[in-house]
Amino acid sequence: MSGQLHGGDSFRRFGRRLQGLTGREFWRSLDELAGSPEFLEALHREFPTHSGYWDAAFSRRDFLRLMGASLALGGLAACGKPAGRILPYAEDPEGMTQGAPLYFSTTLPRAGFARGAVVKSAMGRPVKVEGNPRHPASLGGTDVFMQADILGLYDPDRSQTVLEQGRISTWGAYRAALSRALEAEAAARGAGLRLLTGSVTSPFLGQAIAEVLRRYPQARWHRFEPVSRETVYAGHALAFGRRLDRRFDLSQADVVVGLDCDLFFEEPGSLVYARQFAGRRKPQERMLRAYAAEPSPTLFGSRADHRLPAAASLLPALAYSLARRCGLPVPAVDTPQSCEPWLSSAAADLRRCRGRGLLVAGSLQPPQVHALAAWLNEALGNAERAVIYLEPPEASDSAAPLSELVEEASQGRVQTLLVLDANPVYGLPAADAAAALGKIPFAAHLGLYQDETARLCRWHVPRAHALESWGDALAFDGTASLLQPLIAPLYNGRTDFEFLGPAIGRLDASHDELRRFWSGRGLSAQDAWDDALRRGVVAATAFPAQAPSARRERLEKLPPPEAAAAELEAVLRPDLRLWDGRYANSGWLQEFPDPVTRLTWDNAAWLAPSTARRLGVENEDVLEISAGGRAVQAPVWIVPGQAPGVVGLTMGGGRSAGGRVAHGSGYWGESLRPASEARLLGPVQARKTEASLRLAGVQGHQLMEGRPLVRFATLSHYRKDPLFAKGERPGPTETLYGPLPQGGYAWGMSIDLNACVACGACVVACFAENNSPVVGKEEVLREREMHWIRIDRYYAGSPDAPAILSQPVPCMHCEDAPCELVCPVGATVHSDEGLNEMVYNRCVGTRYCSNNCPYKVRRFNFFDFADRQEEAYKLMRNPDVSVRSRGVMEKCTYCVQRIQEARLAADKQNRLIGDGDIQTACQQACPAQAIVFGDKADPRSRVAKLKASPLDYGLLDDLGTRPRTTYLARVDDPNPSLPEGA
Amino acid sequence: MAQLFPPSSNSIVKAAFAAGALVLCLAVWVAYRVERTTYFTKAGVACEQPVPFSHKHHVSGLGIDCRYCHVSAEDSSFAGLPPTRTCMTCHSQVWTQAQMLAAVRRSAETGQAIAWTRVDRLPDYVYFDHSIHVRKGVACQTCHGRVQRMPLTWRGYPFPFHMKDCLACHRHPERFPREDAELARLSRGFPPGERGHAAALAEHVRLLTDCYTCHR
Repeated sequence: MSGQLHGGDSFRRFGRRLQGLTGREFWRSLDELAGSPEFLEALHREFPTHSGYWDAAFSRRDFLRLMGASLALGGLAACGKPAGRILPYAEDPEGMTQGAPLYFSTTLPRAGFARGAVVKSAMGRPVKVEGNPRHPASLGGTDVFMQADILGLYDPDRSQTVLEQGRISTWGAYRAALSRALEAEAAARGAGLRLLTGSVTSPFLGQAIAEVLRRYPQARWHRFEPVSRETVYAGHALAFGRRLDRRFDLSQADVVVGLDCDLFFEEPGSLVYARQFAGRRKPQERMLRAYAAEPSPTLFGSRADHRLPAAASLLPALAYSLARRCGLPVPAVDTPQSCEPWLSSAAADLRRCRGRGLLVAGSLQPPQVHALAAWLNEALGNAERAVIYLEPPEASDSAAPLSELVEEASQGRVQTLLVLDANPVYGLPAADAAAALGKIPFAAHLGLYQDETARLCRWHVPRAHALESWGDALAFDGTASLLQPLIAPLYNGRTDFEFLGPAIGRLDASHDELRRFWSGRGLSAQDAWDDALRRGVVAATAFPAQAPSARRERLEKLPPPEAAAAELEAVLRPDLRLWDGRYANSGWLQEFPDPVTRLTWDNAAWLAPSTARRLGVENEDVLEISAGGRAVQAPVWIVPGQAPGVVGLTMGGGRSAGGRVAHGSGYWGESLRPASEARLLGPVQARKTEASLRLAGVQGHQLMEGRPLVRFATLSHYRKDPLFAKGERPGPTETLYGPLPQGGYAWGMSIDLNACVACGACVVACFAENNSPVVGKEEVLREREMHWIRIDRYYAGSPDAPAILSQPVPCMHCEDAPCELVCPVGATVHSDEGLNEMVYNRCVGTRYCSNNCPYKVRRFNFFDFADRQEEAYKLMRNPDVSVRSRGVMEKCTYCVQRIQEARLAADKQNRLIGDGDIQTACQQACPAQAIVFGDKADPRSRVAKLKASPLDYGLLDDLGTRPRTTYLARVDDPNPSLPEGA
Repeated sequence: MAQLFPPSSNSIVKAAFAAGALVLCLAVWVAYRVERTTYFTKAGVACEQPVPFSHKHHVSGLGIDCRYCHVSAEDSSFAGLPPTRTCMTCHSQVWTQAQMLAAVRRSAETGQAIAWTRVDRLPDYVYFDHSIHVRKGVACQTCHGRVQRMPLTWRGYPFPFHMKDCLACHRHPERFPREDAELARLSRGFPPGERGHAAALAEHVRLLTDCYTCHR
């Protein structure tokens, strides 16, 4: 990225542009950059896509008929209220106050790895997930998946009954059938018995599986995890001779070089890395400098000071080149000239920061790159500081790959197969698990959904959700934590342990077995067990750091990487919204805009602008991509910053049996994945088809006309001009309002753009907290998405390698709010404490407020978007927030229900609300602590101190709205020695 | 041709319009009054309950505190209904065979809840919190009527739970009976009569009449 072009003087230039001069700095989409007529037209339409919606022939007759029907139905609805009932307990549970929520610690694993959570239970119904500050993999933060687990729990599409060959059966019948199958296996010492799981870190389940393998010595355990860490382990086996895992401590690093490694998303410690990174990006202190070379933009790459779009197949060469420049005796490799500035700068910084640097490689890279990274980190003295090695927390580390299972099954050597929450039929069609499953007489599947694999197994058993189960899991650093159920299984689900029970002759409930298991591991005393449950971690169980030494002689003999020859290659990465597809039936996540593409509901094939030009395709054209005899048709999305010659594919789309929400969204990227489970797909062919697919991108929605919204400078510029973020034009001081009331609290928010990694946890947390409805793809296309907080994404610089900036935008709670002036019915009013309030019962839906809002943060219920029919969703909703109905405007309330809760608690104790008593949902979810909320009138509060920072600025503050939500401008730290354009 | 309408037609039409408007206003007024009658509000009408529980007997007769059964009134938004176990603390000893307590005994045996009929109900867009009202010295009777005199339970006349009734107190908390000390706390510690009390109370009232205090 170019330091000069969008250095701190960008604002001056912006100001000039506003005065009629040209010079575009920040842009949100390629259309905007090009200033295309469609874009300008869309920008200036008053009702972007709403007009014309009713143009469809709608006769007077239809109108009268509908009105008649509504009147008749309206009359029915008015026929008396049913008498309400109150059902108190017969025997009240211990420790519960009726009407008051309780909070329980538990664990929500992703791909096996634990992340600690504290779940709010409203009268027995889990309604909100927060991070557990005591858990080492959460530190209080969450990600989108943890937030969406609440919706996943209540999902009415979840499998609800035991099935045998698609017909309803019973748990008893399954157990009897399994016992019969196992009797036959016992005679053969389990020669035909196989287990298939995803990544398993659970010591409890690991021991149960070990017990199965002990009883049936010939049985085997296979693992299929779509986003596995196998390359990391294998790489360390190359480097150290031991399969080891690694974790990072970014607080110890001054420079981080990432080779296609999304530290903030893919890594099991992603939440912690985001926190550590944010802690090291304070321009007042010594900053961490980040380099990234990657084929597709990632969350980490978007925050890197120097981001190099590079084909995945080129990265091994870059790793070799870096290693050589840092003095390792590796063969010289050719790298393109365009990579030279990035390479020399990264290598110089790594050499300069000996012992305080870090080279990380992503799991998509081959083991060789991981080995080299380990060696380099050791040579530079970074090991045991910024990178820590540990035994893999996965119990499934010893399991055999899926391919062996398929091979044996197709030879008829597998009689009994137990599948625990794995979906190879969808996740790896190239392995042809579908055909193999047909040859297994007794295949039983345990899963949350009756998914693609379940449909081909003889038996299917519904799985208990993590929030319904007893269990345990290990975090990325090996710390153990327990899962405790927040609710009895809603849909008769069974835990993994119960599913395996008959195979090890133990039919006790999971709780008793888990208790017994941990009794032998330091939790024998009731107090210790209770404490582990309450805290959400088992104390002092983190794995000790290993101190392996690199085997130089072997590493020196590693063959150098072959030159990247493919004209077009593809990479397959977990979707930022759906992971590997296991979250595909979550409406919250489907509608959560991808942080990079800002697309909802569909995944797309990401192409660099130059590649798209070469292939002759534009956005939404459908491209047929084929590799190794397999093909997939995917809509194109042109992504600035994507490496040329690389098609970025994501997982999780095109589910054929994923549920009603997942159905029909996206393409099946996994269908191109080779049976070797590689996610770098190598050379592919792409052909433009005649078809096109409308994609529901929200990037162009809620535009604010190219004003200086996101403010940004380099560190050197910031040091010269610390006040660069302050606007040139002060806002007008005269106001139409009376004086603001003095005294009392003044709520305000500060959002630190230096901390934000754009993961989107705030967006989904807001959805969960505020009962926001999902509207569906059609309505998103009409710009009717209902997010109260959105993450705007801006680019600066050339479309091939732009700087990528993100900005969360909730309601600004302007002190002089334009929306309030225009409401004819007083439905939006100002409180004494500075909240811009929305009174739903007064709102008649004129939408004037939304039109007059310069920030475009108001959302209108064009239809009755909230699903009031589905019983399961009634349980899910936050009882402290109204469910809005049709015709009502809504927007961010600063989580007023949390303010009120804190106010009542303080009032009852006759004290003032303390700083930090109130956390908004977005603030609490943020892993990087980018959002701070509090009383801005109290000079000792955190938010007041942040607002006093020189970096503080208000969005569009020249309009005189005096927003209560302000931002801390972003300061990046590019290498000053790097020439412009690198 | 003669005029179709005599000059008086103007007056008649005007009078008709005025009468129409008057009738409309009257209709609205009647509807408003009727809606507030006990016929609609059900105030003063005893609900049928599975057990004919008498607050009069338990409160006035036996002197049991409200909070003995409604335990969470001081701590939670919901005042709470007693679990069957609370009834059985006494009724496992007294009136053990009474026919009218059959439902209570059945509940204690089976663990099934007693299905009480709701007496007072607020719309779900009102976020009422019992605890703060009780802690601020608002007596139960202020809203629920003289429950201690109710042999069967009904909505405390004359309180139909209209927003107006909530606002009466939220606008003028000082007019409603409560302990002086509580009133002092309400106005940030200024005892009534002192300088600053009125201002502090006014500030508090501004907060109390904020929309988000009850709706969100």
